[in-house]
Amino acid sequence: MDKIKLRQICFLFAALMPVTKMIIYPATVSYYAKNDLLLSAALNLLLMGAVLALVLFLAYRTDMTFFDLLQNTFGRVAARIIYGLFALFFAFSALLPLMEQKGFVTQIFYENIPPVIAFAPFFGVSFFACVKGFKTIGRAADIAMPVFAVCFAVIILLALPEADFSALLPVGGGGEGIFRGSLYGLTWYTDCLYPLFFLGHFKREKGAWWKVGICYLVGAAAVLLFLGTFYGIFADIALRQQNAVAQISKYTTAFTSLGRIDLLFIFALALVLVLSQCVPAQLSVHCACRALGDIGPLWPAAALNILLLGFTVFFKYSYLELQTFFTQNLWFVFLIFSYVLPVSAHLLRKQERGRQGKTGGQKHGAQCGNRGARMKETRKGDTTGEERHE
Amino acid sequence: MDKKQKQPKILSADLNENIQNIKAVLPAEDILVYKFTSGDDVQCAAVYADGITDKELLGSLVARPLSLAKAPKTIAEAEKLLYFPESKEAEDVQAACGEILAGNPVLFVDGMGGGLVLGTKKVTLRAITEPQTAITVKGPREGFIEDVKTNMSLIRRRLKTPALRFKSMEVGRHSKTLVCVAYLDGIADEKVVKEIEQRISAVDIDGVPDSSYIAKFISKKPYSIFKQIGTTEKPDILCAKMLEGRVAILADGSPIALTVPYMLAEDFQSSQDYYISPFRATVSRILRMLAVFAALYLPAAYVAAELFKLQLIPLNLLLIISGGTQALALSPSLEMFFLLAVLEILIEASIRMPKYVALALSVIGALVLGDTAVKAGIVSSPAIIIVALSGISAYTVPDLTGTLSVLRLALVVVAGSIGTYGIILLTALILYYLISSDSYGTPLLAPFSPLIKRDLRDTVYKTDMYALDTRPAVFRGKNKTRLNVNNRQKEESDGQN
Amino acid sequence: MNKFWSRIFLFAVAFLLLLFFSNDFGIVNIQKTAIVVAVGLDIADGDKVDVTAQIAMPASSNSGGGAEASSNVSIHGAATVGEAIAELNRKTGWYPTLVHCRLVVLGEGTDSEDVFRFSDYFLRSEFVEDSCLLAMCEGRAEELLRAKSSVGDMTSAAIAKVLSNESQKTGTVCVVNLRDFAKGYYSVSGSGALPVLSAKPEAESGDSGGAGGAQGAFAGDCGGFAGSSALPVQGSSGSGNSGAGGGKSGNQNKSDVFDATKTALFFGGKRTALLEAEETLAYNLAASPTDFAYGDVTVTENGKDVTYNLKMKIGKRSQDLTVEGGVPVFTFRIRANAQVADTNKSETIEEVAKTTIVPEHVLRAAEEKFRQKLSAVLKKANAGGCDLFEMKIKLYRFARPYFDALKDTVLQDAKVVYDIQFDTLK
Repeated sequence: MDKIKLRQICFLFAALMPVTKMIIYPATVSYYAKNDLLLSAALNLLLMGAVLALVLFLAYRTDMTFFDLLQNTFGRVAARIIYGLFALFFAFSALLPLMEQKGFVTQIFYENIPPVIAFAPFFGVSFFACVKGFKTIGRAADIAMPVFAVCFAVIILLALPEADFSALLPVGGGGEGIFRGSLYGLTWYTDCLYPLFFLGHFKREKGAWWKVGICYLVGAAAVLLFLGTFYGIFADIALRQQNAVAQISKYTTAFTSLGRIDLLFIFALALVLVLSQCVPAQLSVHCACRALGDIGPLWPAAALNILLLGFTVFFKYSYLELQTFFTQNLWFVFLIFSYVLPVSAHLLRKQERGRQGKTGGQKHGAQCGNRGARMKETRKGDTTGEERHE
Repeated sequence: MDKKQKQPKILSADLNENIQNIKAVLPAEDILVYKFTSGDDVQCAAVYADGITDKELLGSLVARPLSLAKAPKTIAEAEKLLYFPESKEAEDVQAACGEILAGNPVLFVDGMGGGLVLGTKKVTLRAITEPQTAITVKGPREGFIEDVKTNMSLIRRRLKTPALRFKSMEVGRHSKTLVCVAYLDGIADEKVVKEIEQRISAVDIDGVPDSSYIAKFISKKPYSIFKQIGTTEKPDILCAKMLEGRVAILADGSPIALTVPYMLAEDFQSSQDYYISPFRATVSRILRMLAVFAALYLPAAYVAAELFKLQLIPLNLLLIISGGTQALALSPSLEMFFLLAVLEILIEASIRMPKYVALALSVIGALVLGDTAVKAGIVSSPAIIIVALSGISAYTVPDLTGTLSVLRLALVVVAGSIGTYGIILLTALILYYLISSDSYGTPLLAPFSPLIKRDLRDTVYKTDMYALDTRPAVFRGKNKTRLNVNNRQKEESDGQN
Repeated sequence: MNKFWSRIFLFAVAFLLLLFFSNDFGIVNIQKTAIVVAVGLDIADGDKVDVTAQIAMPASSNSGGGAEASSNVSIHGAATVGEAIAELNRKTGWYPTLVHCRLVVLGEGTDSEDVFRFSDYFLRSEFVEDSCLLAMCEGRAEELLRAKSSVGDMTSAAIAKVLSNESQKTGTVCVVNLRDFAKGYYSVSGSGALPVLSAKPEAESGDSGGAGGAQGAFAGDCGGFAGSSALPVQGSSGSGNSGAGGGKSGNQNKSDVFDATKTALFFGGKRTALLEAEETLAYNLAASPTDFAYGDVTVTENGKDVTYNLKMKIGKRSQDLTVEGGVPVFTFRIRANAQVADTNKSETIEEVAKTTIVPEHVLRAAEEKFRQKLSAVLKKANAGGCDLFEMKIKLYRFARPYFDALKDTVLQDAKVVYDIQFDTLK
């Protein structure tokens, strides 16, 4: 059931990762770093890439899941506690993007409707996705990739004629603002944590390094291209543009006979955004299930989504304060959970390769197989194997 | 319960007793007894069901030879005497009754123990014609009919291979419908075949009037709005699907064959795609996908744009629409809901109406509901255009029309209540549902999700026949090679030399 | 489908149907919406603002649809633009939507102080696109929006045509949207430019002689490096009334044509200078994407003044700022191709056939003319502190180390170099 393919992990970084950084993040980072926003973002992306590489390296050193590693090192109770903490972190890290998306939805999709009615149904979709498991994360990434590729290309092509890239000059003049932009932008860069929870749920393939690496670079390039184009179009008024992805392409289409045709592509990107926003919720439920003793996902999913809906309603008039609190006061939480802990996972005790894993990893479809079978990494197009269709 | 009653009654050597026992089980008036004597004046009788037995054959191949020869004493002697191509022994009354009801008369001879079942079934069948739901300009025009044996013969004619297997089962306590599972050994996944057989065998129902009943029983999510099982009425399509690795299920009394595993993408494929140029086929496929997209989203987008996001509509068009909707009594969402409901009613009526009122009702549909309703200010012209376009587009993929109608209505309701974001959320929900659904191990949304690049060449676009050298990777059969490309290349190069 | 999911499904369906059929949570749909296509701002007494909204009024479906009419609604004496927009709802009973607002016109007087006092409403609001065109006008914006277009469009549509990208390509009009102006305003240069609209009364409709008269009104502008003249028009039914009812009265009404060849220069939101038509053309040739511009050059041939009308295509244009020895050097680099569109002398048939080839002396005269006009533009801009050619921005981006020292004096102290070359087809 909880299976994901390497290709899907690649698509997650190529498509689902960039889209979450196209709403409020560009305005926020341009507020701190001004024309050096690319440097700020590049710092974050480099850091995230390094963590991703280390997590992949860990995947090659062991077949166990993260839970099994924790259990081996600290015992089952401690592992459940840690998973519980991660469940809380995923829920916590999902809150700000949800508020961001809510603002995006109410401002771009509507002119005249109570926001709760507009946005509350999202939690129904999220609940459904949370119940379905890992498999849907991967398959959603398969769907999201071509949609994102087409829509992003169209939006950028429409935006490029209006962009003056000299607005990004001078490079490096931002000084402290660059680091501040990176530090306070950590809330948007939590994607490197996901592969840690995919450990043991995907088969390693030949060339995984460069596949994931290239896809990550593609995603990173998409983020940087978007930020550069955004600042090239808006320059000094960039920090006013709250919903960047909906703003950059309108100048080319505004006076054509077809009107705002770019809105259709923005709506399609909103679909990708929905899929990407469900990922932390799904992982939160996954962690909660393991923390609570391998229960079914139904009640944790319901509880999580009701909680998130409650927070969204409670904070509906406090987005700015919430964002300030998260980014400026709680950046260290994101640093620890998204960067320090995944890297520290290398210190966990791994079982020697070749020994059968008799832990809950098997229950969740972990690939604790014999050494001979595992060393013969799955070749492309291999049609044997039971769980082939992830 | 009495053990004696449970045990089937054995057929005796007494002719009258046998006839009495048979008539006790089958008292219906269409169960007739044809009595005649053999050459040595021994009483013989054939019990048959009127209307489904070939009486001519009975007379010429059974009664006549027997009347000229000595009465057989055993079943073996009878078989030898009659040279009947299909005959077998009925051991007990129940078995004999079953055969009589199936159209095979049972021959009793006074003094011969048991009864001889004779295969003289004759059912009035319709001719093999082109099915209405799968019309093609190029390609075969044959379609399945209601007789499973004929359908099997249509398949056998196209797949003259020892690998073609048929496994028959009887389903239905009263209907005793013959259900046949057909597959190509070595190409189809054995696990799928086994699972289907198990599921069909486990069915305990009164009757199976159509293969769609079987479809419900072998579906893993019978309540799903999406199809779980593929269907076709054409033998060429069925054979092509079997050659890809699918398993076919035929049911007696139904012209619709079922195929598993099923993928949503196969409904966008037409048999004609394989008989025309790949470029034309690719354009047709893309058109179908766009048409389905339009059928689903056009009404909802129209409602959402009018209610929530005027910016979606270009200004000039917006003014036209606004002019058209100013005096309307209904809000845009109710107007669209009303029109979709009328469309569905028209479709239902057109399927069921007698042909001689079709013209009159067409006039009513066009003039009254179209022109007059606009003039009366009940609906607007743009809305009618949208609904008409959506309705026509849905029929580019006839197999999905039912699903599309329901989804279209759901999208309109969501668009009218939640708006543009609601459309996106419902789309996401549908996507999550589809990506978590499998049909016998094959994901419904394959080859899009999970992405199987090799299979895209016969899904999104239609590639040249020589590129389709392997079967779809999504199926798990052992034999993957469809086309031996190397031999052809060798022949070509030999030809050039 | 187990009970839990069945119940969830039923509840969701019931809830959606309730929302759908009740539709009673304040949705304002198209039937209740007033589509505002243009907004005019004028200064009122006591530092208040008068806001005029041009609302597109679709004709009824009986007229075949598509006919456009418009209605202007004015709110006088509002403290802010937002308040005025809200009052539109009260006045008309319709909910105004500005998502299709394509034009914002600032009346005379709004530029005496910072124009962003009022016009930044359009930047604040999420429901107004900053892709709308922005322009000044002579007189009151309210009067301008009441002008009748000679081609039967709504006033805003007619103005949008005058300020279209196509017009910009001919270089006669400086097309600016709100985003561009705001970028300049909030940048280190704090400067910008806006086209100045004026409505010129056209001859009475139905009089073909009116076309010539219209051209005559612009004859004074045709000397030297002139821009193109107004379109000849005949017969108009008046703007905003092109439906069935408009045609009859149109014959009696005068219609207007719009001119946007003048450009107002701004610094800190205040107007500092006004460019005439020829100067606007020179500015556009140097700084805006122009494809084909037309201009006149007068040269002396055989003791007589001959005027050549040249069609010019700018091939390459750039403005670079460098600092040499502590002195900012601003270089205009322009390469253009020209061909003769017309002359005011008769020529032989061979010369007419070679019309694409411009004589050398004409090319040099055109270069000199362009240089003079550009210099005039720069002088006007710098005099008022308007950084029209973004020298401060270039200083910030390309010569950052010198920015702090030179930012206040760059406009006055910059040495300007004109590297202008006109070429012809050979």
